[in-house]
Amino acid sequence: MTAESDLELVRGLVGAALASLESSRARIDDLNVYPVPDGDTGTNLTLTVRAVADAVASAEPADRPALAQAVARAALMGARGNSGVILSQIVRGVADTLAESTNGIDPGLTARALRGASDAAYRAVRRPVEGTMLSVTRELAEEAERRAAQPEPLGELLVELVRHGEEAVARTPEQLDVLREAGVVDAGGAGLVELLRGLAGAVTGETMPAAPEAASAPGPDAIHLEPSRFRYCTVFVVEGDGLDRDGLEAQLEQIGDSLVVVGDETALKVHVHTDDPGAALSLGTGAGTIEGVEIANMHEQQEQREQRLSLVPSVRVKSGIVAVVAGEGNRLLFETLAEAVGTIRVVSGGQTANPSTAELLAALGVLDADEAVILPNNANVRLVAEQAAEQAELPAEVVPTESIPAGLAALVVYDGTRGAAENAAEMAEAATAVATGEVTRASRDVSLSGLAIRSGDWLGLVDGQPVAGGDDFAHVAFEVVSHLLAEPRAVLTLLTGDDPPPLDGLVERLASAHPELEVEVHEGGQPHYPLLLGAE
Amino acid sequence: MRLSGANTAIVLDSTADLPDAADRFPNWRVVPLYVNIGDESLRDGVDIDPTEFYARLRETRVFPTTSQPTPGDFLACYRELDAYERIYSLHVSARVSGTFGSAEAAGAELGDGRVRAIDTETASASIAMLALAIQRRLERGTSDEEIDALVERYRHERGLIFTVDTLEFLQRGGRIGKAAAFAGTLLQVKPILSIADGEVVPVKRVRGERNAFAELASALETRTRDEPGFQLGIAHAAAPERAAELEALVRGRRPQAELELVVALGAVIGSHAGPGTLALFWFHDDG
Repeated sequence: MTAESDLELVRGLVGAALASLESSRARIDDLNVYPVPDGDTGTNLTLTVRAVADAVASAEPADRPALAQAVARAALMGARGNSGVILSQIVRGVADTLAESTNGIDPGLTARALRGASDAAYRAVRRPVEGTMLSVTRELAEEAERRAAQPEPLGELLVELVRHGEEAVARTPEQLDVLREAGVVDAGGAGLVELLRGLAGAVTGETMPAAPEAASAPGPDAIHLEPSRFRYCTVFVVEGDGLDRDGLEAQLEQIGDSLVVVGDETALKVHVHTDDPGAALSLGTGAGTIEGVEIANMHEQQEQREQRLSLVPSVRVKSGIVAVVAGEGNRLLFETLAEAVGTIRVVSGGQTANPSTAELLAALGVLDADEAVILPNNANVRLVAEQAAEQAELPAEVVPTESIPAGLAALVVYDGTRGAAENAAEMAEAATAVATGEVTRASRDVSLSGLAIRSGDWLGLVDGQPVAGGDDFAHVAFEVVSHLLAEPRAVLTLLTGDDPPPLDGLVERLASAHPELEVEVHEGGQPHYPLLLGAE
Repeated sequence: MRLSGANTAIVLDSTADLPDAADRFPNWRVVPLYVNIGDESLRDGVDIDPTEFYARLRETRVFPTTSQPTPGDFLACYRELDAYERIYSLHVSARVSGTFGSAEAAGAELGDGRVRAIDTETASASIAMLALAIQRRLERGTSDEEIDALVERYRHERGLIFTVDTLEFLQRGGRIGKAAAFAGTLLQVKPILSIADGEVVPVKRVRGERNAFAELASALETRTRDEPGFQLGIAHAAAPERAAELEALVRGRRPQAELELVVALGAVIGSHAGPGTLALFWFHDDG
C-alpha cells in the first residue's frame, strides 16, 4: 500500500467513525453517570474524533508511521474529557501497532492493534475500573485474539467485534454498581462501540444497524437523575389493539414531565412524573387495559436518588422526625425539609384538631430510624407529644415548638445522621431564635390598648398575645411584622392559610419599609389562621 | 536541584480564578478550561470574563457545561516554558474534573520529567493560595521535597467555606458530591458548604442570604486568627456587594493577617457554583 492510499483509507474511516458518534452523541450524553454524572461523554468523544478528522484532512504524511503518528497526536491534542483522554490512548495503541506493519490489515494485526489499545488505555488510568471503556476495550481485544487464527475479511471481523462490543457494554451494569443503580450502561463503552460501528460500516460498505434499543435507552431510574418538580412517579403498562403511542404521549405531556412511552400497538409502557397519578391512569384506561401500576412518592425517594447521584453509599438515618402539622402546604414544606437530610412522619392536626397519643405512637412506630425527635408545633399538643415520647419503643425527644414557623426553623438544622438528643438540643435553640405571629379573625369583641376590635375583625397576635386589630388585613399583618422585627431579623416567612386574603398590599409595604428583609411566601393551607408568620 | 523563581514555573488552570497570573509573576501561566454555552466553546478567562459570563447566564435558559483542557493545551503551555527546569502544574480536584489527568498525560508526553502535576484537592482561590505559598518559597530558594511537604500540609490545613444561592448548578453539573442530600428544599434554605477530600461537602443549612453571610463571618471568627502569616482569600460569583462586605469584615477583624486574594469566580467554577456564590479561604503559612 502507498502512503497516499493509506491516507485516503484513514480519512474515510475517521469520517465514518465521526458520523456514527455524531448520530449517537445525545444518547451517550444521557447515559453518562460515571465517573462524574455531567452528561458529556458523547460530546467529548465526538469532539476528540473530530480533532482527528480535522488533522487527517490536512495531513500530508510521508509514510505509514508518519500517518500513524499524526493520528495518535491529533487524538491526544484534541482529547476532551476523561473519555476523550482514554480514547486518545486507544487510538495511540492501534496506530502504533498498524504503523509497524507494511501490509494490509488481517485478523492477526487487528488483534495485536486492539491488544495494544487495551494496554495503552489501562496504563493511562491510575485505578482501572471494570464496567467502563477500559474493560470494553479489553474484551474487544480478547475476542479479536480468539479470531486471529481464522482467515476472515476485515469487514466481517469488525461486524463481529461490534456485536461482541454491544454484549460487553450490556454487561457493564453487572460490573459497576453505579451503572446498575442508575439503570444505564457505561457511556464511554457505548461510545467506543458506536465508533467501531462506523468503522465496520465504512469497511463493508453497508451501514450497520443502530444499537439495540433495550440495551441503550436509559431506563426510568436514569431519568430520575434529573430533578422533577412533580411529586409522583407513575409507571404502568397499557395493553390493547392498535394503541396510539404518539397520542397517549401527547396527552400525558399535559400533566407531567420525565415522560417515557415505549412499546408497540399491543402494549405500551408508560413512565411519567406528575402531581395527578389518577389522571395519568385515566388516560391509560381510555386507551386500553392497564396493569403493573406503580406509583411512588418521589419526595420519599429523593434522598436515595440524590445519594445515587452523588455516588456515595446510603447512610442509615439515625434519628427521624415526627411532626404534627396542619395544612397540606405546610406538610409538604416539612417533608421536603426533613427528607433532604433524614426522614419524617407527619401527623395531621393542630389548634383545634389535637392528635392523640396513640396517633403519635403509631407514627413513631413506622418511622424508619433508630431514634426520634417530635415536633408538636402547638402548645396544646406538647403534653401529648411528651407522653408519646415516654411510651415510644425507641428513644424520642420532644422539641416543644409552639407554632408551624418555629417547627420549620427547627427542621432547618435537623440532620438525620445525628442522634435524637444532639438534634433536639440544636433544634430547640433554632426554634427559640424565631419570632412567630399569626393573623386570624376575632371570634368575639375584644378591647386592645383602648382599640375596640369587633367580632369578625382581623386580629394580629404575637406569641399568642393580641397586638393589632381592625378591618384592614394588610395593616394588621404589617403591625404584627413590626413587632416580630423588634430585634433584627433577616428572613420573614409567610404561610397563608386556606382561603387567605390577598397579600399584595402587605408584601409591597414590607418591601418599602424593610428593604433588607428577605420575604418568603408559601401556601401553608392551615385552617383558622389566614396567615402564620415567622421571623429569623 | 535548588528551585527558584528563575528556574521553576507554576502552571495553574483557569479554575484557580486568577486570570492575571502571568502578569503577577513572570514564571506563572494559566491554561484555560472550556465553558460551553449552546454551540459555543469558549476559553475560560480568555474568550469570556466573569462579567460577560454572568450577564449571559442571566439571558440564557441553557445551563452551561464545561470541558477540561486537552493534553495538547497543557503540552503547548509546557513547551512555551522551555526555559524553566521545573514546572509545578497545580490543578482543581481530580474528584470533580479530569483537568489533572490532562496535565499528567501532557507531562508524560513531554517525557523529560520537568513537570510535576499536582491534584490540589480543592478549587478556585484555594488553588491560587497554594501557588502563592509555593512562590514565596521559590523566591527565597527551595527544593522539591520542601514543596511536597507544603502541598501535603496545605491539603490538610487549608480551610474554606462557601455558600451558594441555589444547589441547582452543583446538581446540574454533577459536582454536588456529599452535599446532594442538602438539595431539593422549597424554603429558601441556603447551604453552607466546604470541600473535603476533593469533594463538595455539606456543613449546615440556614435560612436566607443574611444568615448565610453570618455563617461565613462566624467561620472567620472561630477558624482563623489575627496574626501575621495568616493568609485569607475571598471569591464571589456576581455578588460584588457581599464580597465587599466580607472584605471589610476581614480587614476589620483580622487586621494583622493578609487578605491576599479577592477574586471573581470565572466561567467554569461559576458554571458549577452559580451566581450568588460567596467563599472564604484561609491558610496559615509562616513561609
